[in-house]
Amino acid sequence: MLERWNPTVKAFTVLICVILLSFEYLVSLNLLVLAVCLLLLMFCSRVSLKKIGVILLPACIAAFGLFVTGLYYARGGSTQTMDLSSLSAMPYSVRAALSQNLYTALQLATRLLAYAGLGILFALSTEGDFFIASLLHQCHLPPKFAYGILAAFHLMPGMAREYAQVRTAFAARGLKAGPLSMKPVFTMLVNSVRWSESIAMAMESKGFCGDAPRTYYTVPRVHWYDLAAAALMVGGVVLGMLFLKY
Amino acid sequence: MSANTALELEDAVFRYQEKGKRNILDHTSLSIPAGTLTVLMGGSGCGKSTLAAVAAGLYPENGGFLESGTIRLYGQDLKTLDPQKRAAYLTVLFQNPDLQFCMNTLREEMRFCLENIRVPAGEMDARIDRAAAELGIAPLLDRTLSTLSGGEKQKAALSCLYVMESRCILLDESFANLDHEAAAQLLEMLLRMKTSGRTILAIDHKADLWLEAADEIILLEEGGKVAARGIHCKNLPEHRTDFERLGLFYPGSRPERAARPVAEGKPLLQFRGVSIRKGLPTRRKWGRTVYDAPFLVQNVDADFPAGCMTAVLGPSGTGKTTTFLSVLKQHPYTGRILFQGRDIAKMKSKELYRHIGIVFQNPANQFVTQNVEDEVCVGLRLWEPGLSDEACRQRAEELLDRYGLKRQRRYSPYMLSQGQQRRLAVLSVLAGGQELLLLDEPTYGQDARSVNAIMEHLREKVEQEGLTVIFITHDTELAAAWADKIYRLEDTALVEKSAEEVL
Repeated sequence: MLERWNPTVKAFTVLICVILLSFEYLVSLNLLVLAVCLLLLMFCSRVSLKKIGVILLPACIAAFGLFVTGLYYARGGSTQTMDLSSLSAMPYSVRAALSQNLYTALQLATRLLAYAGLGILFALSTEGDFFIASLLHQCHLPPKFAYGILAAFHLMPGMAREYAQVRTAFAARGLKAGPLSMKPVFTMLVNSVRWSESIAMAMESKGFCGDAPRTYYTVPRVHWYDLAAAALMVGGVVLGMLFLKY
Repeated sequence: MSANTALELEDAVFRYQEKGKRNILDHTSLSIPAGTLTVLMGGSGCGKSTLAAVAAGLYPENGGFLESGTIRLYGQDLKTLDPQKRAAYLTVLFQNPDLQFCMNTLREEMRFCLENIRVPAGEMDARIDRAAAELGIAPLLDRTLSTLSGGEKQKAALSCLYVMESRCILLDESFANLDHEAAAQLLEMLLRMKTSGRTILAIDHKADLWLEAADEIILLEEGGKVAARGIHCKNLPEHRTDFERLGLFYPGSRPERAARPVAEGKPLLQFRGVSIRKGLPTRRKWGRTVYDAPFLVQNVDADFPAGCMTAVLGPSGTGKTTTFLSVLKQHPYTGRILFQGRDIAKMKSKELYRHIGIVFQNPANQFVTQNVEDEVCVGLRLWEPGLSDEACRQRAEELLDRYGLKRQRRYSPYMLSQGQQRRLAVLSVLAGGQELLLLDEPTYGQDARSVNAIMEHLREKVEQEGLTVIFITHDTELAAAWADKIYRLEDTALVEKSAEEVL
């Protein structure tokens, strides 16, 4: 279902939600957005749980990092400045400072998670080809770029194979090429430039012309339900901003 | 000039640099009658591929400079045609099967082609289905293109041209990387297209496959000029001298067998019960690697004698290259591989590479510097770290001179021609004084003259310096001509064959 949502509309919806969230500091809203995104992915799309987990894991680590940073170094007064205050009041003030910082930290961390949720909602439920086709028609992306991107996109597995081959060739010549070494990358890039030329010529010989009019087998359209879904999601966030307190 | 001429070049002058001196096409005039199958042959660097690109209108649009001349497709001046209209007259099937598609599956690619030439959406499915049925490629339609084999990719690319109903199909060495079987299937598709009135113009290094089907063979010489034409299978012997003068493969001729009896003594490389699987372990279960890929080679024993040239034959995709990688410890295997009687599993990689060098199918992948001379120096320095700069350069220059690359020593390796790249690769690998050279498809994209040059050179090294060469090829004639010992990879086994048997 999510896969059928028009990708351009989906992209704009996600973008608007992200912008709206960046004006608010509501922990509950952030968590709600994350939960909705995950539920949608789990029940309204074909994405496997494992994939969601793999992508969400680094986001969780980053969120935890942000949480710790917010907790100890927030501007509301850190635990170190608390040391300077009167000793007798210390347990209370530490608690107070922590509770204030805790909230800031939660705000930051959950916001990052909400962004991650929105990001994977788009990324995992959108097929590259469909997205490009939609950009072509809904955003009037010139065919030259659209098909160029598609060609590059489908060349990726070949490039990965090429890179592995170059590394093997280097190893067989007795040269150490560490995982971060630039030399195999350079060789691969030289080859890639040649490839792109060849592909461009092959496309042109098949009658492709960057700016000439062309027919389309399928034209992705924006249906009422695409807009309704967008309105529902943006509306939900706006309502949350108006009525949620924390 | 009539519409009966599919392609006509009139006094075309083309070069890559506007101010350059060397014309790739030097006052070339050529006409190809419509409805025929014509084969264009010519030595490496004679401008065949340039001619194809100019005829298809890809040059000068994508590079180069056309000084003068007119090109006509079915009587229409090429300049007046945009790519859309051009595709109705002439399309090109290129050499590299990997670089012809921009979509995910063949069906999508065919739709892309039809969209290009503005076929209404409603007609597309019918046209695709019809083409698929006629060419027998229905099983390929919905497979991901990047997972197809080289032969299947070329078939897919050809059916795209077919579905566009282009009147002339130009093949730019499209069979170069295919084994015999795949090439024969492709030829059959082409002949079917010819009977429906298409013109087919094929550029190739070898005419053997085309001989029976071709209406005419045209030989080109330097500058893309026509050296001889009107050749077909009946009058072929009269033109033998032309083939030899231009350094081309004369159809049916076999280079003289240069092989010698295999020397007695201990083999340099031995396989004992070696099994190799396709791909890497795919799954891990409870911490153990689980192999479920099919076997490429299973429980094989083989001896590769020292001071000899050994060929490994077999169709593409049967695992020849992977076997080489296993010898270099770059691909897992089971069993024992012995080098000079020592198990390579017990040797350090660095030590192994000191004895074994490899030249890959695409030598451009193994260059590590941006300068031909440095490339050799790296090879030298690697095994003699103490060598002074001066001495190293001097040695490199000597070697380059011997390999006929001295003039290009300041070039970037990527600027060399295919044949030169291969020579440089062999040179830079052997600069370290390795005893065993593994060569992967030495004929890849080269004409008779450069293949013979490289094989002769290696033969010399084998005889004088006791080098051992193992080369992979799908070219049975090459194996029969040069190899002292021939193995054929059949059904996961390495079977020893005599030269007569493989022919």
